[in-house]
Amino acid sequence: MKAMELFSEAKEIKKGRIRIETTKDKVEEMIKKLKNNGYEHFVMLSCIDWIKDGKFELVYHMWSYKYKEHVMISIKINRDGETVPTMSHLFPQIETYEREIHEMFGVEFEGNKRLVSFVLEGWPHMPPMRKDFDTEKFVKEHYYKIPEVKEE
Amino acid sequence: MRQEDWSKLARIMSKRSLWMVHFCTGCGAMEMPPVLTSRYDMERFGMISMATPRQADVLLVTGYLAVKTLKRLVQVYEQMRDPKYVVGFGSCTINGGMYWDSYNTIKDLSKYMPVDIYIAGCMPRPEAIIDAFLKLMDMIDKGEATGWKKYHKYYKQYKRNQKMAFSYRLDEVKDIEEGDGK
Repeated sequence: MKAMELFSEAKEIKKGRIRIETTKDKVEEMIKKLKNNGYEHFVMLSCIDWIKDGKFELVYHMWSYKYKEHVMISIKINRDGETVPTMSHLFPQIETYEREIHEMFGVEFEGNKRLVSFVLEGWPHMPPMRKDFDTEKFVKEHYYKIPEVKEE
Repeated sequence: MRQEDWSKLARIMSKRSLWMVHFCTGCGAMEMPPVLTSRYDMERFGMISMATPRQADVLLVTGYLAVKTLKRLVQVYEQMRDPKYVVGFGSCTINGGMYWDSYNTIKDLSKYMPVDIYIAGCMPRPEAIIDAFLKLMDMIDKGEATGWKKYHKYYKQYKRNQKMAFSYRLDEVKDIEEGDGK
């Protein structure tokens, strides 16, 4: 229950799992504070597309081996081009997570110099994990239209 | 002896010493260890897995291929020396399998490289894999496994399809078709 003592806005959603909702300018000091108080493992950074609200939700997951607690710091940003400051100077693995989210959702991370393509090399379309990307239509128009090799 | 007799002799010799590139894509690679090791023991048919494509005869494509993987697979396939054979493994290589609507996996392997034999199933059991290899050996013996000749003959078409997949755009295809196919 260490995170509950550290932050007043923390909520326990179930045993050993704590959720903190905050804004993007407070994330950095929160991660720093958690890092200095026993939450030494940055698990992952995930992204959710709330298309009806016009928001992306970014969730920073952290774990403490000492307290056996999972803390999730959640921020919401606008879907249309709002940038987020990078956190890769705090934990180096965040760089790769940000690179993936940039590719799959199109979120821009300010200060991350490695936002080059990751799994999708040379992808020219809308980022595919956005909810307004029509996967089935794309597949039918792309892969199924590639012709078979004709034998003469 | 005539040329045909020599090639027939070479086929008979090579069919029982097929070396396989250990190129693991997708989940099919998990089904290979029991086939390779003592339980099913592929080596009794003269098949071993080989680390380098230049010494291998068989390319086993074990499962789905992302477009990025396909680029590497084409490189590996082109590094292999003739005669070479491709085995499509699992339903993902036939029609996409459970990834039929994925934005990033190719659906039909035979559009991008010639496939000599497919193994259906998700996943195929080791018995099915060994059965397919025995059929492939039979095909080599009869001279029916001619995928590598097809790749030479229809090289332009295969290259066009590969480029279409890599670029993710079909409107660029016209330029590719008009080009030299490289």
